[in-house]
Amino acid sequence: MTEKLALLHPEIVLFITATIVMVLGLSRRVAVRKSCAAITGLGLLIAAWLAWDSPMMTGMFPGLLPYGKTVVVVISLLILPLLTGVVDQDYESDVAKGEKFDPLRSMRGEFYSFFLFSVIGVLLCVSADDLIWLFLALELTSLPTYVMVATSSKRLRAQEAGVKYFFLGALGAAIFLYGFAMLYGATGTTNIPEIAQSLTVNGISPIATLGVVLAIVGVSFKIAAAPMHFYTPDVYQGAASPVAAYLAFAPKAAGFFALMHILSTVGWTHGADGTALPADIRVVLWVMAALTMTVGNVLALLQSSVKRLLAYSSIAHSGYMLTGLLVGPALIAQSVTPESVAAQNGLAAMLFYLFTYGVMTVGVFAVISCLETRTPRNTEIELDSIEDLKGLCRRQPVLGWALVLCSLSLLGMPPLLGFFGKLFLFTSVIAAHEYVLVVVMAINAAIGAVYYLRLALGPLVDEPNEFRPRARLIVSYPRKVTAVVSAVGVVALVLWTTPIQFASNNATLTPGSDEGGAPLAIESVVTGKRSGGPEITDNSLLPVHNPE
Amino acid sequence: MSGLVDMNLNALLAVSPLADVTLYHYLVVSAAMFSLGIIGFLTRRNMIIMFLCTELMFQGVGLALIAFGRRWMDHSGEVFVIFVLTIAAAEAALALALVVLLYRKKGSLDAQAWAQLRG
Repeated sequence: MTEKLALLHPEIVLFITATIVMVLGLSRRVAVRKSCAAITGLGLLIAAWLAWDSPMMTGMFPGLLPYGKTVVVVISLLILPLLTGVVDQDYESDVAKGEKFDPLRSMRGEFYSFFLFSVIGVLLCVSADDLIWLFLALELTSLPTYVMVATSSKRLRAQEAGVKYFFLGALGAAIFLYGFAMLYGATGTTNIPEIAQSLTVNGISPIATLGVVLAIVGVSFKIAAAPMHFYTPDVYQGAASPVAAYLAFAPKAAGFFALMHILSTVGWTHGADGTALPADIRVVLWVMAALTMTVGNVLALLQSSVKRLLAYSSIAHSGYMLTGLLVGPALIAQSVTPESVAAQNGLAAMLFYLFTYGVMTVGVFAVISCLETRTPRNTEIELDSIEDLKGLCRRQPVLGWALVLCSLSLLGMPPLLGFFGKLFLFTSVIAAHEYVLVVVMAINAAIGAVYYLRLALGPLVDEPNEFRPRARLIVSYPRKVTAVVSAVGVVALVLWTTPIQFASNNATLTPGSDEGGAPLAIESVVTGKRSGGPEITDNSLLPVHNPE
Repeated sequence: MSGLVDMNLNALLAVSPLADVTLYHYLVVSAAMFSLGIIGFLTRRNMIIMFLCTELMFQGVGLALIAFGRRWMDHSGEVFVIFVLTIAAAEAALALALVVLLYRKKGSLDAQAWAQLRG
């Protein structure tokens, strides 16, 4: 019992923080209400520290906890400054004018606790080893985000987006739930390792295949992948930019962790050389990945709103990451070096990409959320047309350069972080001999270059657009900080790609390779990250396929 | 005592019209509920009806879970259903709040009344 609790320390801390924040948000004193964001940040910091020290778990990916949870908490910490000032702007100014305190109008506490509950959901997805747990974790991720979208702004568009997001979310939930029921029906257990064992021993029945496919299709709502990507542009555009930034990362992370767990039930032990998914599931994922990245990139070309463009870019990046899931963990010959193993590991590449994608996309959204102005009636107007960004480097050098760096990184420009994300995905897909998929990815990366360059060159090269009303930017210091931190991260984290890559590689460790070796692996990842250059040379620490 | 109850139950089941109902029947009903839910969700535009359709899908899944639980003589299915009901209740609260919000702003329950987001 206590061992199981040790897996949940970050979640417990965040839950306590969420409860405290919910109460403090109703305080009569302005200073106490305003401290909600700081307390949330403190809780996330403690959770990040605890996540880093997470123990091994019993499941399909024993080493997933430290890397997965740390990535989620760190990116949430990056998003938190963006969220300050999303709600309660006009309410606080009314209070400052001397209006009486009205607990029904104050939403600040709820907003931050919903944010924390959603982060808890993502963390629970990481450690899920049971279908019931996974279902609850996915729902805990999504339910608070519906409220966050609907309350993020006073504009009608936000509420429309919230309703749309909710209904399609419920549809997706029902579909993957049906998939879970089929998996349970095929194996008679909800425990994921036991399901995997049953499927290995008894073979994969059609009903189990149906279950896995339905689960993948349902979860594709969370990761904004085809065939359930339609809502993405509308919801991102309707929600306030900071909340859209959160939607671009958190449900996607939850979905990819969930997909890892779901696919681990059938295992990457099929195909000619025993390193592929079962043929029919592989085809489903292949088509989904190719379709998702193509739809995302082609439709992004047509957008004039930056938020819609980012939504389609988010779809496209889901497509790239799906290829990592398709490849799965690499099969290791004893002779190869750890570097080449890490380069062949599709799951590690996917987890690495998830982290880089979080940093880059939050950076772009941070710049967009600084570009707000207000009507006389104090409703915010977001300046999210590409025209508004022209000449940004001259008007707002810091924001402009942050935007340039983050969008070039999303494009995959070589010295930046995004390039390494793409590199590892490409090498893993090539190592799995999926050559057609590599060509599709390369064509898509080229299409993506067009609109990312438009996003980067507009602020850099063009003259400021005089026809548009000059953006009176809301000086939001915290949001600017997020933009700067992301931009710095995109450049500076390049120096730590190797340790991060090793960490993500160790996160995909499968059971069977862990006799004595695995705890050491985690240890070396932690020390490696702290000192900046680990030398993991022991092959026993790397994921090994164990088709027993 | 419990053996007696079981015997009575079995005797009852043997003569009851439910004796011939197999897992297969439950699954067909569950799949029908789920499909009706999806069809209704995609074709109807009234928010309340759309929400009821998602509920229908959830309950269809619940039926399948209970039937599978009985098939495997395992309680996980029933436990799962209880959690599904909890989530369905949470979603109901959220859906009704959003529907009330829609109705206050637009005076209509038509999903197409909200079409600001196009592009």
